[in-house]
Amino acid sequence: MSVPRARLLDLMKAQCQVFATTFNPEGIRMGNKVLRQRLKGPALAAYYPRKLASIKDVKREFGPVLATWDDAEEDRFEYIEELKQRGKSAPKKKKGPPAPTPGKKR
Amino acid sequence: MSMFRAKKLDLGCFVKARTIRDHTKRKVFEEHEAERQALRYVIRNTTLPPRTRATAQLQLSQMHCYTRPTQIRNRCIMGGQGRGVLRAFKMTRFNFRMEAMAGNLPGVKRASW
Repeated sequence: MSVPRARLLDLMKAQCQVFATTFNPEGIRMGNKVLRQRLKGPALAAYYPRKLASIKDVKREFGPVLATWDDAEEDRFEYIEELKQRGKSAPKKKKGPPAPTPGKKR
Repeated sequence: MSMFRAKKLDLGCFVKARTIRDHTKRKVFEEHEAERQALRYVIRNTTLPPRTRATAQLQLSQMHCYTRPTQIRNRCIMGGQGRGVLRAFKMTRFNFRMEAMAGNLPGVKRASW
């Protein structure tokens, strides 16, 4: 039993209407597959973990209002104190312009 | 390229120049993805006049290389490496082994039978 082509086309048309697809019986390339693709940009851009607020940021924002402590910073100060006691800390900042070196010829 | 790069560092993982570059590329691609897909649609649509399609082709090929998805490469978030990165954990195989043996990856355990 053969079904006439016109009838089959009618069926296809109805199918397209029901499922909201484009009616394209000749199979012409309309580029619709590009439109059907999902955007993958947001997923790709979220690959690396973003920077979170640090204790320094909190201090900068709420400095006078909120009192908090920074363990790493305190450890650093302690270490510097230790160095100073041993006389191994950084030299003092110089004041005024550098004195001209004597043995330099122009 | 520097014009795309964020003015302030916005990465929370291991940072090196290549990681920053890859991150920038990802953000630029996300920004231009809709435009690229529109151009791709015009190029693939054979019912449009050939001239339109040719100009779309030119436009797409002349977009900045950072807007291309093929420029993006997964990198290790622990060490910034670009090779041997396990996609599910975003880590190189060695970093994955270290983290797994330290018990930092939930659900991962050593195979034994």
